[in-house]
Amino acid sequence: MALPKRIIKETERLMAEPVPGINAVPHEDNLRYFDVSIHGPAQSPYEGGIFRLELFLPDDYPMTPPKIRFLTKIYHPNIDRLGRICLDTTGPPALQIRTILLSIQALLGAPNPDDPLANDVAQRWKDDEPAAIQTAKEWTRTHAMT
Amino acid sequence: MADNGDRVFCHACGGVWLLDTREDGSDNSQKCPHCESDFTEIIEIPPESPEPEREAEPQSPPVNPWADHNPWAQEGSIPPRTSGWMESGSPGYSHRSYQSPDGRFTFSSTTIGSSYPSRHDAQPNPVLPLMMQSLGTLFQGLSGTYDNHQTQRGPGMGMPPHAHAAGMRGSDVMHDPFQAQEERARRHDGHYPHDPNGPQQITAPLQSLADLLDALQANGGTQRNTAGRGAQGMALQNPFALLSALMNMGHNGDAVYSQEELDRVISQLIDHTQQDTAPPPASDSDIDSLPKKKMTREMMGSDGKAECSICMDSVELGTEVTVLPCTHWFHFDCIKAWLSQHNTCPHCRRSINATGVTSPGEGTSENPVVIPDSPDSSPQRRRRRSSPFTSQSIRSARSSRSRSSRTSPTPEMGEPGTRRGSGGESSRGGITGWVWSRFGGSSS
Repeated sequence: MALPKRIIKETERLMAEPVPGINAVPHEDNLRYFDVSIHGPAQSPYEGGIFRLELFLPDDYPMTPPKIRFLTKIYHPNIDRLGRICLDTTGPPALQIRTILLSIQALLGAPNPDDPLANDVAQRWKDDEPAAIQTAKEWTRTHAMT
Repeated sequence: MADNGDRVFCHACGGVWLLDTREDGSDNSQKCPHCESDFTEIIEIPPESPEPEREAEPQSPPVNPWADHNPWAQEGSIPPRTSGWMESGSPGYSHRSYQSPDGRFTFSSTTIGSSYPSRHDAQPNPVLPLMMQSLGTLFQGLSGTYDNHQTQRGPGMGMPPHAHAAGMRGSDVMHDPFQAQEERARRHDGHYPHDPNGPQQITAPLQSLADLLDALQANGGTQRNTAGRGAQGMALQNPFALLSALMNMGHNGDAVYSQEELDRVISQLIDHTQQDTAPPPASDSDIDSLPKKKMTREMMGSDGKAECSICMDSVELGTEVTVLPCTHWFHFDCIKAWLSQHNTCPHCRRSINATGVTSPGEGTSENPVVIPDSPDSSPQRRRRRSSPFTSQSIRSARSSRSRSSRTSPTPEMGEPGTRRGSGGESSRGGITGWVWSRFGGSSS
């Protein structure tokens, strides 16, 4: 199946005008598969960490949203231990790779325990936020700074 | 080729062949046809096999109508005995093998059925199970071929008695999902078509994995066309995943052993069942009745450029576009592809039926309409629902989530079930919705 023009365009634009703090590079042998890294936003528990993600554009992208997953372990109420992200990805085709990655970066800066994916993390975040943030920082140090 | 039931086992390469089916003469009939080794031994067939029937039924006829089908064979170019299907066996024990013309692939299958001397009688409609058996044979053979690299002495060698001979776990795994039912019926006597002198494999964990696959097969496989390539069920996915895992090609290795893999399976299952929370497709008539318009100067961006946010192709002045009730416009083909999956604007998520012009089944967030049991008789309504590509793994834990006020201005967001009824632009939440409102779908 030929690569749709849209994917080529998006990739070109991602390369030409990269989002600050976000790096997305397609695989040479599969242009639908991206290696992504997102820098932890400043003043978040993830600051200083570089988080790796994988992003895959399904066959009928953009009608079906990209599949994204954190590869780096992260302690976050909206990201479960498999790296799945709490994104409502019935997302419309007007949403681009760039926009989605921005949304993930924003999510790192603003964890939302009221809309949890990792229930235990979210509960801890609600019960004892300083401790949860401390754990998130430790995890960042352990897993995202190597 | 009379079948007296005697087989010869080669200790060097692990091959087993019928004593009388040798093609290269009778003087050295105990020499291994595969590796030319003399280190062979005549073995006996399983003692359970009904002795008297041996004479009466010298060779089980190929019950599979495709048993002789050889897709690789080309007329006249291949010696009849060096490639293609070979079938041997006696009642209760049959060995079939296929060797490709270049000798690189060898598929083999061994079946025992001591209680069912003739499969014809037991199977009123043998085609489907046998088709499955053929598939099983294929995969078993493929995995066996892989494994043969360890034992193979040269090209053109025959089949190992069973891929099990090398302690191979693959053949068992690949074998089972397809042959489960058949095999189970035959296996009840506990006898295994395995050379008693050969190395025995450790089967315990694989047994359980195979059983798990069996269960999956029984759950999902029966509802689908078992041979259907389009089917997306786990039942079919798993054998292939296992195949690739066996060959160390994928990351699915050790499939269901790990918690992670189990989570993945579960999340896929959840995805398949949670599609209903997405906005429903629009009907073709609704899509076709959307107004079309030529691009005007006002519709272009401030820099005089515009592009369809679905295909991201630039749109020139005067190009005909389709305009949704929310005034967002797209190429007709692009928006049709989207609307036939979800009846909302790709930009602002407002339902295209929100104006009430076309479908009476949609309300607004202020005036919700209770959806009757069958909201739309049009068959198009759910046409795309089963698209194999609509699964979204990231949403998998949706059920555990409660929508936050941050992402959802409307009160009914708390219950996914009501989302279909609300045609309003806020009919979705999650971080995407939040970002959506923040970034506004910047398309350039």
